[in-house]
Amino acid sequence: MEAVVTVTPRTCPLSCLLRFLLYFLRSFSSEEVILRDYSVPNPSWNKDLRLLFDQFMKKCEDGSWKRLPSYKRIPAEKIQDFKTHLLDPKLMKEEQMSQTQLFTRSFDDGLGFEYVMFYSDVEKRMVCLFQGGPYLEGPPGFVHGGAIATMIDTTVGMCALMAGGVVMTANLNINYKRPIPLCSAVTINSQLDKVEGRKFFVSCNVQSVDEKTLYSEATNAEVEANLGFVSGSSWLQIPNFQHQDSLPLRDDQHRSA
Amino acid sequence: MIRRGFQLAARLGHHRGLLGDPRILPRLNPASAFGSSTDSMFSRFLPEKTDLKDDALPDASWCLNMLSLDQEFLEKTKSSGWIKLPSFKSNGDHIGLKLPSGLAVSSDKGDCRIFTRCIQVEGQGFEYVVFFQPSKKKSVCLFQPGPYLEGPPGFTHGGSLAAMMDETFSKTAFLAGEGLFTLSFNIRFKNLIPMSSLVVMDIEVEKIEDQKLYMSCLVHSRDQQTVYTKSSGVFLQLQLEEESPQ
Repeated sequence: MEAVVTVTPRTCPLSCLLRFLLYFLRSFSSEEVILRDYSVPNPSWNKDLRLLFDQFMKKCEDGSWKRLPSYKRIPAEKIQDFKTHLLDPKLMKEEQMSQTQLFTRSFDDGLGFEYVMFYSDVEKRMVCLFQGGPYLEGPPGFVHGGAIATMIDTTVGMCALMAGGVVMTANLNINYKRPIPLCSAVTINSQLDKVEGRKFFVSCNVQSVDEKTLYSEATNAEVEANLGFVSGSSWLQIPNFQHQDSLPLRDDQHRSA
Repeated sequence: MIRRGFQLAARLGHHRGLLGDPRILPRLNPASAFGSSTDSMFSRFLPEKTDLKDDALPDASWCLNMLSLDQEFLEKTKSSGWIKLPSFKSNGDHIGLKLPSGLAVSSDKGDCRIFTRCIQVEGQGFEYVVFFQPSKKKSVCLFQPGPYLEGPPGFTHGGSLAAMMDETFSKTAFLAGEGLFTLSFNIRFKNLIPMSSLVVMDIEVEKIEDQKLYMSCLVHSRDQQTVYTKSSGVFLQLQLEEESPQ
Protein backbone atom coordinates (compact mmCIF):
# COMPACT_ATOMS: atom_id res chain seq x y z
CA MET A 1 0.00 0.00 0.00
CA GLU A 2 1.23 3.48 -0.76
CA ALA A 3 0.23 6.53 1.24
CA VAL A 4 -0.96 9.17 -1.14
CA VAL A 5 -1.75 12.52 0.29
CA THR A 6 -3.10 15.15 -2.00
CA VAL A 7 -2.80 18.69 -0.92
CA THR A 8 -5.23 21.17 -2.38
CA PRO A 9 -5.12 24.90 -1.77
CA ARG A 10 -8.10 24.56 0.56
CA THR A 11 -6.69 21.60 2.55
CA CYS A 12 -5.33 22.57 5.89
CA PRO A 13 -2.16 20.82 7.09
CA LEU A 14 -3.94 19.34 10.10
CA SER A 15 -6.51 17.44 8.04
CA CYS A 16 -3.73 16.22 5.75
CA LEU A 17 -1.91 14.92 8.76
CA LEU A 18 -5.02 13.24 10.09
CA ARG A 19 -5.74 11.56 6.77
CA PHE A 20 -2.18 10.36 6.54
CA LEU A 21 -2.31 8.96 10.07
CA LEU A 22 -5.58 7.18 9.36
CA TYR A 23 -4.11 5.63 6.21
CA PHE A 24 -0.99 4.64 8.10
CA LEU A 25 -2.99 3.00 10.90
CA ARG A 26 -5.26 1.14 8.49
CA SER A 27 -2.27 -0.42 6.84
CA PHE A 28 -1.42 -2.06 10.16
CA SER A 29 -4.95 -3.22 10.90
CA SER A 30 -6.19 -6.80 10.88
CA GLU A 31 -6.55 -6.59 7.12
CA GLU A 32 -2.79 -6.70 6.89
CA VAL A 33 -2.76 -9.97 8.85
CA ILE A 34 -5.35 -11.50 6.57
CA LEU A 35 -3.40 -10.42 3.49
CA ARG A 36 -0.14 -12.00 4.60
CA ASP A 37 1.22 -14.38 1.97
CA TYR A 38 1.99 -17.63 3.79
CA SER A 39 3.73 -19.33 0.90
CA VAL A 40 7.15 -17.87 1.68
CA PRO A 41 9.83 -19.19 4.06
CA ASN A 42 9.50 -18.52 7.76
CA PRO A 43 11.78 -19.59 10.64
CA SER A 44 9.91 -22.87 11.12
CA TRP A 45 10.82 -24.14 7.65
CA ASN A 46 13.47 -26.85 7.81
CA LYS A 47 16.56 -26.99 5.63
CA ASP A 48 15.06 -29.38 3.08
CA LEU A 49 12.00 -27.23 2.59
CA ARG A 50 14.07 -24.12 2.08
CA LEU A 51 16.33 -25.89 -0.40
CA LEU A 52 13.37 -27.11 -2.42
CA PHE A 53 11.86 -23.63 -2.31
CA ASP A 54 15.05 -22.14 -3.70
CA GLN A 55 15.20 -24.76 -6.45
CA PHE A 56 11.67 -24.00 -7.57
CA MET A 57 12.13 -20.24 -7.33
CA LYS A 58 15.00 -20.71 -9.79
CA LYS A 59 12.61 -22.49 -12.14
CA CYS A 60 10.30 -19.48 -11.92
CA GLU A 61 12.94 -17.17 -13.33
CA ASP A 62 12.19 -17.98 -16.95
CA GLY A 63 8.44 -17.84 -16.42
CA SER A 64 7.82 -21.55 -16.99
CA TRP A 65 6.85 -22.02 -13.35
CA LYS A 66 4.85 -19.75 -11.06
CA ARG A 67 4.74 -19.59 -7.27
CA LEU A 68 1.20 -19.36 -5.94
CA PRO A 69 0.60 -16.96 -3.04
CA SER A 70 -1.58 -18.25 -0.21
CA TYR A 71 -3.73 -16.33 2.27
CA LYS A 72 -5.66 -17.05 5.44
CA ARG A 73 -8.89 -16.04 3.78
CA ILE A 74 -10.10 -16.19 0.24
CA PRO A 75 -10.12 -12.71 -1.37
CA ALA A 76 -13.55 -11.10 -1.73
CA GLU A 77 -13.76 -11.37 -5.51
CA LYS A 78 -13.17 -15.12 -5.40
CA ILE A 79 -15.94 -15.49 -2.84
CA GLN A 80 -18.26 -13.71 -5.23
CA ASP A 81 -17.21 -16.08 -8.03
CA PHE A 82 -17.95 -19.03 -5.83
CA LYS A 83 -21.35 -17.71 -4.73
CA THR A 84 -22.37 -17.10 -8.32
CA HIS A 85 -21.50 -20.60 -9.33
CA LEU A 86 -22.61 -22.63 -6.42
CA LEU A 87 -25.66 -24.41 -5.16
CA ASP A 88 -27.74 -23.05 -2.39
CA PRO A 89 -26.84 -19.56 -1.18
CA LYS A 90 -29.35 -20.06 1.66
CA LEU A 91 -26.84 -22.44 3.15
CA MET A 92 -24.19 -19.81 3.43
CA LYS A 93 -24.49 -17.83 6.63
CA GLU A 94 -23.27 -14.36 5.87
CA GLU A 95 -22.37 -13.41 9.40
CA GLN A 96 -20.15 -16.42 9.83
CA MET A 97 -18.07 -15.76 6.82
CA SER A 98 -16.19 -12.93 8.43
CA GLN A 99 -14.96 -15.22 11.23
CA THR A 100 -13.84 -18.07 9.05
CA GLN A 101 -10.38 -18.87 7.84
CA LEU A 102 -8.92 -21.32 5.40
CA PHE A 103 -8.33 -24.59 7.19
CA THR A 104 -4.79 -25.10 6.02
CA ARG A 105 -3.82 -21.65 7.27
CA SER A 106 -5.42 -21.88 10.69
CA PHE A 107 -2.20 -22.53 12.58
CA ASP A 108 0.67 -20.49 13.97
CA ASP A 109 3.99 -20.77 12.13
CA GLY A 110 5.47 -24.25 12.18
CA LEU A 111 2.69 -25.95 14.11
CA GLY A 112 0.42 -27.09 11.30
CA PHE A 113 0.65 -26.99 7.51
CA GLU A 114 3.73 -25.26 6.11
CA TYR A 115 3.50 -25.35 2.33
CA VAL A 116 4.01 -23.54 -0.93
CA MET A 117 2.73 -24.43 -4.39
CA PHE A 118 4.38 -24.01 -7.76
CA TYR A 119 2.55 -24.41 -11.04
CA SER A 120 3.69 -25.16 -14.57
CA ASP A 121 1.09 -24.25 -17.17
CA VAL A 122 3.00 -26.00 -19.95
CA GLU A 123 3.21 -29.30 -18.11
CA LYS A 124 -0.14 -28.84 -16.26
CA ARG A 125 1.69 -29.78 -13.08
CA MET A 126 1.18 -28.50 -9.57
CA VAL A 127 3.95 -29.19 -7.08
CA CYS A 128 3.37 -28.59 -3.39
CA LEU A 129 6.31 -28.48 -0.98
CA PHE A 130 4.91 -29.50 2.39
CA GLN A 131 6.15 -29.76 5.96
CA GLY A 132 3.70 -31.11 8.57
CA GLY A 133 4.04 -29.71 12.09
CA PRO A 134 3.40 -31.25 15.53
CA TYR A 135 -0.29 -30.31 15.56
CA LEU A 136 -0.92 -32.69 12.65
CA GLU A 137 -0.05 -35.85 14.54
CA GLY A 138 -1.67 -39.21 13.90
CA PRO A 139 0.37 -42.25 14.97
CA PRO A 140 2.92 -40.91 17.48
CA GLY A 141 5.69 -39.06 15.61
CA PHE A 142 3.94 -39.25 12.23
CA VAL A 143 1.58 -37.10 10.21
CA HIS A 144 -2.14 -37.90 10.48
CA GLY A 145 -3.59 -39.70 7.44
CA GLY A 146 -6.28 -37.02 7.33
CA ALA A 147 -3.70 -34.24 7.18
CA ILE A 148 -2.07 -35.96 4.22
CA ALA A 149 -5.50 -36.28 2.62
CA THR A 150 -6.03 -32.56 3.21
CA MET A 151 -2.82 -31.63 1.42
CA ILE A 152 -3.48 -34.02 -1.47
CA ASP A 153 -7.00 -32.60 -1.79
CA THR A 154 -5.64 -29.05 -1.76
CA THR A 155 -2.93 -29.79 -4.33
CA VAL A 156 -5.07 -31.68 -6.86
CA GLY A 157 -7.74 -29.05 -6.40
CA MET A 158 -5.40 -26.22 -7.21
CA CYS A 159 -4.06 -28.15 -10.21
CA ALA A 160 -7.56 -28.46 -11.66
CA LEU A 161 -8.49 -24.93 -10.68
CA MET A 162 -5.59 -23.50 -12.66
CA ALA A 163 -6.89 -25.34 -15.69
CA GLY A 164 -10.45 -24.22 -15.30
CA GLY A 165 -12.05 -21.93 -12.75
CA VAL A 166 -14.45 -22.89 -9.98
CA VAL A 167 -13.99 -26.50 -9.07
CA MET A 168 -14.66 -28.87 -6.21
CA THR A 169 -13.59 -32.33 -5.19
CA ALA A 170 -16.02 -35.17 -5.80
CA ASN A 171 -13.79 -38.14 -5.25
CA LEU A 172 -10.47 -38.76 -3.56
CA ASN A 173 -8.71 -42.10 -3.56
CA ILE A 174 -5.45 -42.37 -1.61
CA ASN A 175 -3.04 -45.25 -1.04
CA TYR A 176 -0.66 -44.84 1.86
CA LYS A 177 2.68 -46.56 1.40
CA ARG A 178 4.79 -45.25 4.25
CA PRO A 179 4.03 -42.97 7.19
CA ILE A 180 5.46 -39.45 6.98
CA PRO A 181 7.47 -38.30 10.01
CA LEU A 182 6.35 -35.03 11.58
CA CYS A 183 8.36 -31.94 10.64
CA SER A 184 9.90 -33.54 7.57
CA ALA A 185 9.59 -31.98 4.10
CA VAL A 186 7.88 -33.82 1.24
CA THR A 187 6.90 -32.95 -2.30
CA ILE A 188 3.37 -33.50 -3.50
CA ASN A 189 3.38 -33.79 -7.29
CA SER A 190 0.10 -33.57 -9.11
CA GLN A 191 -0.53 -33.85 -12.79
CA LEU A 192 -3.58 -33.15 -14.90
CA ASP A 193 -4.05 -36.41 -16.80
CA LYS A 194 -7.07 -35.75 -18.96
CA VAL A 195 -10.12 -33.60 -19.45
CA GLU A 196 -13.47 -35.04 -20.47
CA GLY A 197 -15.97 -32.28 -20.91
CA ARG A 198 -16.43 -30.82 -17.47
CA LYS A 199 -14.43 -33.54 -15.75
CA PHE A 200 -10.79 -33.14 -14.95
CA PHE A 201 -8.72 -36.15 -13.93
CA VAL A 202 -5.66 -35.49 -11.80
CA SER A 203 -3.20 -37.93 -10.29
CA CYS A 204 -0.81 -37.22 -7.48
CA ASN A 205 2.05 -38.70 -5.47
CA VAL A 206 3.82 -37.74 -2.26
CA GLN A 207 7.58 -38.27 -2.23
CA SER A 208 10.58 -37.60 -0.08
CA VAL A 209 12.89 -34.72 -1.00
CA ASP A 210 15.40 -37.07 -2.64
CA GLU A 211 12.56 -38.80 -4.53
CA LYS A 212 13.67 -42.17 -3.17
CA THR A 213 10.67 -42.77 -0.93
CA LEU A 214 7.07 -42.85 -2.09
CA TYR A 215 4.83 -42.01 0.84
CA SER A 216 1.40 -42.03 -0.79
CA GLU A 217 -0.40 -41.66 -4.06
CA ALA A 218 -3.82 -40.62 -5.25
CA THR A 219 -5.32 -42.31 -8.27
CA ASN A 220 -8.35 -41.85 -10.53
CA ALA A 221 -11.86 -41.13 -9.60
CA GLU A 222 -15.34 -40.06 -10.60
CA VAL A 223 -17.11 -36.82 -11.17
CA GLU A 224 -20.38 -35.35 -10.04
CA ALA A 225 -21.25 -33.05 -12.89
CA ASN A 226 -24.38 -31.12 -11.89
CA LEU A 227 -23.13 -29.79 -8.63
CA GLY A 228 -19.86 -28.74 -10.08
CA PHE A 229 -18.14 -31.40 -8.08
CA VAL A 230 -15.08 -32.89 -9.54
CA SER A 231 -13.34 -36.02 -8.76
CA GLY A 232 -10.72 -35.40 -6.24
CA SER A 233 -8.47 -37.03 -8.48
CA SER A 234 -10.59 -35.26 -11.02
CA TRP A 235 -11.92 -31.75 -10.96
CA LEU A 236 -14.77 -30.07 -12.66
CA GLN A 237 -15.09 -26.80 -14.47
CA ILE A 238 -18.52 -25.17 -14.23
CA PRO A 239 -18.67 -22.07 -16.39
CA ASN A 240 -22.49 -22.00 -16.70
CA PHE A 241 -23.59 -23.69 -13.61
CA GLN A 242 -27.36 -24.02 -13.16
CA HIS A 243 -27.82 -24.25 -9.46
CA GLN A 244 -30.60 -26.16 -7.79
CA ASP A 245 -33.11 -23.96 -6.00
CA SER A 246 -33.90 -26.62 -3.48
CA LEU A 247 -31.80 -28.08 -0.74
CA PRO A 248 -28.64 -30.03 -1.67
CA LEU A 249 -29.32 -33.09 -3.74
CA ARG A 250 -29.98 -36.26 -1.90
CA ASP A 251 -27.94 -39.30 -2.64
CA ASP A 252 -30.86 -41.03 -4.33
CA GLN A 253 -31.36 -38.22 -6.80
CA HIS A 254 -29.83 -38.92 -10.14
CA ARG A 255 -26.96 -36.80 -11.27
CA SER A 256 -25.84 -37.12 -14.83
CA ALA A 257 -22.86 -35.68 -16.57
CA MET B 1 -2.83 -43.93 35.46
CA ILE B 2 -2.86 -46.51 32.73
CA ARG B 3 -1.05 -44.21 30.39
CA ARG B 4 1.98 -44.17 32.67
CA GLY B 5 1.59 -47.74 33.74
CA PHE B 6 2.20 -49.47 30.47
CA GLN B 7 4.73 -49.26 27.70
CA LEU B 8 3.54 -51.23 24.75
CA ALA B 9 5.82 -52.27 21.96
CA ALA B 10 4.39 -53.13 18.58
CA ARG B 11 5.45 -56.29 16.88
CA LEU B 12 5.25 -56.01 13.18
CA GLY B 13 3.31 -58.10 10.81
CA HIS B 14 5.01 -58.97 7.59
CA HIS B 15 3.79 -55.96 5.66
CA ARG B 16 7.03 -55.18 3.88
CA GLY B 17 5.52 -52.58 1.58
CA LEU B 18 4.57 -50.26 4.41
CA LEU B 19 7.68 -50.63 6.49
CA GLY B 20 10.31 -51.27 3.86
CA ASP B 21 11.94 -53.70 6.22
CA PRO B 22 13.77 -56.50 4.43
CA ARG B 23 13.46 -58.93 7.34
CA ILE B 24 10.69 -61.48 7.31
CA LEU B 25 8.68 -60.73 10.41
CA PRO B 26 6.35 -62.99 12.38
CA ARG B 27 2.72 -63.24 11.35
CA LEU B 28 0.08 -61.77 13.56
CA ASN B 29 -0.93 -64.33 16.17
CA PRO B 30 -4.13 -63.23 17.88
CA ALA B 31 -3.89 -65.87 20.56
CA SER B 32 -0.47 -65.04 21.87
CA ALA B 33 -0.26 -61.39 22.80
CA PHE B 34 -1.46 -60.15 26.13
CA GLY B 35 -2.86 -57.05 24.49
CA SER B 36 -4.96 -58.76 21.88
CA SER B 37 -8.22 -59.18 23.76
CA THR B 38 -10.80 -56.44 23.43
CA ASP B 39 -11.16 -56.03 27.18
CA SER B 40 -7.55 -55.25 27.82
CA MET B 41 -7.48 -52.98 24.78
CA PHE B 42 -10.33 -51.02 26.28
CA SER B 43 -8.82 -50.82 29.70
CA ARG B 44 -5.79 -49.19 28.15
CA PHE B 45 -7.80 -46.85 26.00
CA LEU B 46 -10.35 -45.80 28.57
CA PRO B 47 -8.60 -44.94 31.82
CA GLU B 48 -10.84 -45.05 34.86
CA LYS B 49 -9.23 -42.05 36.43
CA THR B 50 -7.35 -39.37 34.66
CA ASP B 51 -6.64 -35.69 34.95
CA LEU B 52 -6.24 -35.39 31.20
CA LYS B 53 -8.74 -33.05 29.61
CA ASP B 54 -11.45 -34.91 27.72
CA ASP B 55 -12.29 -32.85 24.63
CA ALA B 56 -15.30 -34.97 23.73
CA LEU B 57 -17.54 -33.22 26.24
CA PRO B 58 -20.21 -30.66 25.37
CA ASP B 59 -19.26 -27.02 25.41
CA ALA B 60 -21.00 -23.74 24.64
CA SER B 61 -20.29 -24.05 20.92
CA TRP B 62 -22.24 -27.28 20.41
CA CYS B 63 -25.45 -26.70 18.46
CA LEU B 64 -28.76 -27.98 19.80
CA ASN B 65 -28.83 -30.91 17.43
CA MET B 66 -25.45 -32.07 18.63
CA LEU B 67 -26.37 -31.72 22.28
CA SER B 68 -29.56 -33.69 21.94
CA LEU B 69 -28.01 -36.44 19.85
CA ASP B 70 -25.13 -36.68 22.31
CA GLN B 71 -27.69 -37.14 25.04
CA GLU B 72 -29.45 -39.89 23.05
CA PHE B 73 -26.22 -41.81 22.68
CA LEU B 74 -25.31 -41.33 26.31
CA GLU B 75 -28.57 -43.07 27.15
CA LYS B 76 -27.50 -45.92 24.88
CA THR B 77 -24.25 -46.27 26.77
CA LYS B 78 -26.31 -47.20 29.81
CA SER B 79 -28.48 -49.80 28.15
CA SER B 80 -27.42 -50.93 24.67
CA GLY B 81 -23.73 -51.67 24.95
CA TRP B 82 -22.39 -48.43 23.48
CA ILE B 83 -19.26 -46.76 24.82
CA LYS B 84 -18.41 -43.09 24.63
CA LEU B 85 -14.77 -42.65 23.69
CA PRO B 86 -12.81 -40.02 25.58
CA SER B 87 -10.65 -37.78 23.45
CA PHE B 88 -7.31 -36.51 24.66
CA LYS B 89 -5.02 -34.00 23.06
CA SER B 90 -2.49 -36.57 21.85
CA ASN B 91 -2.57 -40.23 20.85
CA GLY B 92 0.20 -40.90 23.32
CA ASP B 93 -2.20 -39.92 26.09
CA HIS B 94 -4.57 -42.70 25.12
CA ILE B 95 -2.40 -45.78 25.24
CA GLY B 96 1.27 -44.83 25.57
CA LEU B 97 1.89 -46.75 22.40
CA LYS B 98 5.47 -47.39 21.49
CA LEU B 99 6.29 -48.17 17.88
CA PRO B 100 8.99 -50.69 16.94
CA SER B 101 12.57 -49.47 16.72
CA GLY B 102 12.60 -49.75 12.92
CA LEU B 103 9.65 -47.42 12.62
CA ALA B 104 9.63 -45.14 15.63
CA VAL B 105 10.93 -41.61 15.32
CA SER B 106 12.41 -39.58 18.13
CA SER B 107 9.71 -37.47 19.66
CA ASP B 108 11.57 -34.30 20.40
CA LYS B 109 8.97 -32.29 18.55
CA GLY B 110 7.68 -30.67 21.67
CA ASP B 111 3.96 -30.32 22.09
CA CYS B 112 2.36 -32.73 19.63
CA ARG B 113 -1.36 -32.77 19.13
CA ILE B 114 -3.58 -35.27 17.47
CA PHE B 115 -4.70 -33.57 14.28
CA THR B 116 -8.38 -33.43 15.08
CA ARG B 117 -7.63 -31.75 18.40
CA CYS B 118 -5.21 -29.24 16.89
CA ILE B 119 -7.47 -26.24 17.35
CA GLN B 120 -8.26 -25.99 21.02
CA VAL B 121 -10.28 -22.77 20.84
CA GLU B 122 -13.84 -23.72 21.69
CA GLY B 123 -16.05 -24.07 18.67
CA GLN B 124 -13.52 -22.97 16.08
CA GLY B 125 -12.12 -26.30 14.92
CA PHE B 126 -13.27 -29.89 15.25
CA GLU B 127 -16.07 -30.38 17.74
CA TYR B 128 -16.82 -34.08 17.87
CA VAL B 129 -17.60 -37.09 20.00
CA VAL B 130 -17.35 -40.77 19.06
CA PHE B 131 -19.52 -43.59 20.37
CA PHE B 132 -18.46 -47.19 19.79
CA GLN B 133 -20.50 -50.39 19.92
CA PRO B 134 -18.03 -53.27 20.49
CA SER B 135 -20.49 -56.10 19.83
CA LYS B 136 -21.22 -54.88 16.31
CA LYS B 137 -17.89 -53.14 15.64
CA LYS B 138 -19.72 -49.97 14.76
CA SER B 139 -19.05 -46.34 15.55
CA VAL B 140 -20.98 -43.14 15.36
CA CYS B 141 -19.24 -39.78 15.29
CA LEU B 142 -21.15 -36.56 15.90
CA PHE B 143 -19.17 -33.84 14.16
CA GLN B 144 -19.64 -30.09 14.06
CA PRO B 145 -17.00 -28.31 11.92
CA GLY B 146 -16.01 -24.81 13.11
CA PRO B 147 -15.11 -21.68 11.14
CA TYR B 148 -11.39 -22.48 11.11
CA LEU B 149 -12.11 -25.52 8.96
CA GLU B 150 -13.28 -23.55 5.99
CA GLY B 151 -12.68 -24.66 2.42
CA PRO B 152 -15.16 -23.23 -0.09
CA PRO B 153 -16.54 -20.01 1.43
CA GLY B 154 -19.10 -20.87 4.11
CA PHE B 155 -18.52 -24.61 3.84
CA THR B 156 -16.27 -27.21 5.38
CA HIS B 157 -12.89 -28.05 3.87
CA GLY B 158 -12.94 -31.47 2.24
CA GLY B 159 -9.65 -32.23 3.93
CA SER B 160 -11.00 -31.56 7.40
CA LEU B 161 -13.83 -33.96 6.67
CA ALA B 162 -11.31 -36.50 5.43
CA ALA B 163 -9.37 -35.99 8.65
CA MET B 164 -12.45 -36.56 10.78
CA MET B 165 -13.28 -39.75 8.91
CA ASP B 166 -9.71 -41.03 9.08
CA GLU B 167 -9.59 -40.29 12.79
CA THR B 168 -12.84 -42.10 13.52
CA PHE B 169 -11.73 -44.99 11.31
CA SER B 170 -8.49 -45.18 13.23
CA LYS B 171 -10.08 -45.29 16.70
CA THR B 172 -12.63 -47.85 15.49
CA ALA B 173 -9.94 -49.93 13.84
CA PHE B 174 -7.82 -49.84 16.95
CA LEU B 175 -10.59 -50.95 19.28
CA ALA B 176 -12.11 -53.46 16.88
CA GLY B 177 -8.86 -55.15 15.97
CA GLU B 178 -5.59 -53.36 16.68
CA GLY B 179 -5.69 -51.43 13.43
CA LEU B 180 -3.08 -48.72 13.44
CA PHE B 181 -2.00 -47.30 10.07
CA THR B 182 -4.18 -46.21 7.19
CA LEU B 183 -3.39 -48.22 4.07
CA SER B 184 -5.95 -46.76 1.74
CA PHE B 185 -8.78 -44.31 1.83
CA ASN B 186 -11.48 -43.59 -0.72
CA ILE B 187 -13.89 -40.66 -0.34
CA ARG B 188 -16.83 -39.73 -2.53
CA PHE B 189 -18.04 -36.22 -1.77
CA LYS B 190 -21.73 -35.74 -2.53
CA ASN B 191 -22.74 -32.47 -0.91
CA LEU B 192 -21.00 -29.61 0.83
CA ILE B 193 -21.32 -29.30 4.57
CA PRO B 194 -22.25 -25.84 5.83
CA MET B 195 -20.06 -24.45 8.60
CA SER B 196 -21.10 -25.20 12.16
CA SER B 197 -23.84 -27.64 11.25
CA LEU B 198 -24.05 -31.11 12.74
CA VAL B 199 -23.19 -34.16 10.65
CA VAL B 200 -23.46 -37.75 11.74
CA MET B 201 -20.89 -40.34 10.63
CA ASP B 202 -21.85 -44.00 10.70
CA ILE B 203 -18.84 -46.31 10.56
CA GLU B 204 -18.81 -50.07 10.30
CA VAL B 205 -16.08 -52.66 10.19
CA GLU B 206 -17.01 -54.76 7.18
CA LYS B 207 -14.37 -57.44 7.54
CA ILE B 208 -11.00 -58.28 9.04
CA GLU B 209 -8.80 -60.29 6.75
CA ASP B 210 -5.11 -60.85 6.16
CA GLN B 211 -4.04 -58.37 8.86
CA LYS B 212 -6.24 -55.65 7.41
CA LEU B 213 -9.43 -54.05 8.65
CA TYR B 214 -11.93 -52.92 6.02
CA MET B 215 -14.32 -50.18 7.05
CA SER B 216 -17.04 -48.06 5.50
CA CYS B 217 -18.44 -44.69 6.49
CA LEU B 218 -21.55 -42.74 5.64
CA VAL B 219 -21.76 -39.04 6.53
CA HIS B 220 -25.28 -37.67 6.64
CA SER B 221 -27.52 -35.07 8.21
CA ARG B 222 -29.29 -35.92 11.44
CA ASP B 223 -32.62 -36.47 9.68
CA GLN B 224 -30.88 -38.74 7.12
CA GLN B 225 -32.29 -36.65 4.27
CA THR B 226 -28.92 -35.47 3.01
CA VAL B 227 -25.91 -37.64 2.33
CA TYR B 228 -22.72 -35.63 2.45
CA THR B 229 -20.02 -38.23 1.87
CA LYS B 230 -19.42 -41.93 1.47
CA SER B 231 -16.04 -43.36 2.17
CA SER B 232 -14.13 -46.54 2.82
CA GLY B 233 -10.84 -47.19 4.54
CA VAL B 234 -8.40 -50.06 5.01
CA PHE B 235 -6.19 -50.20 8.09
CA LEU B 236 -3.15 -52.30 8.90
CA GLN B 237 -3.17 -54.40 12.04
CA LEU B 238 -0.16 -54.27 14.27
CA GLN B 239 0.11 -56.73 17.11
CA LEU B 240 0.80 -55.24 20.49
CA GLU B 241 2.83 -56.77 23.22
CA GLU B 242 3.24 -55.60 26.77
CA GLU B 243 6.71 -54.76 27.97
CA SER B 244 7.59 -54.80 31.63
CA PRO B 245 7.98 -51.26 32.96
CA GLN B 246 11.60 -50.08 33.55
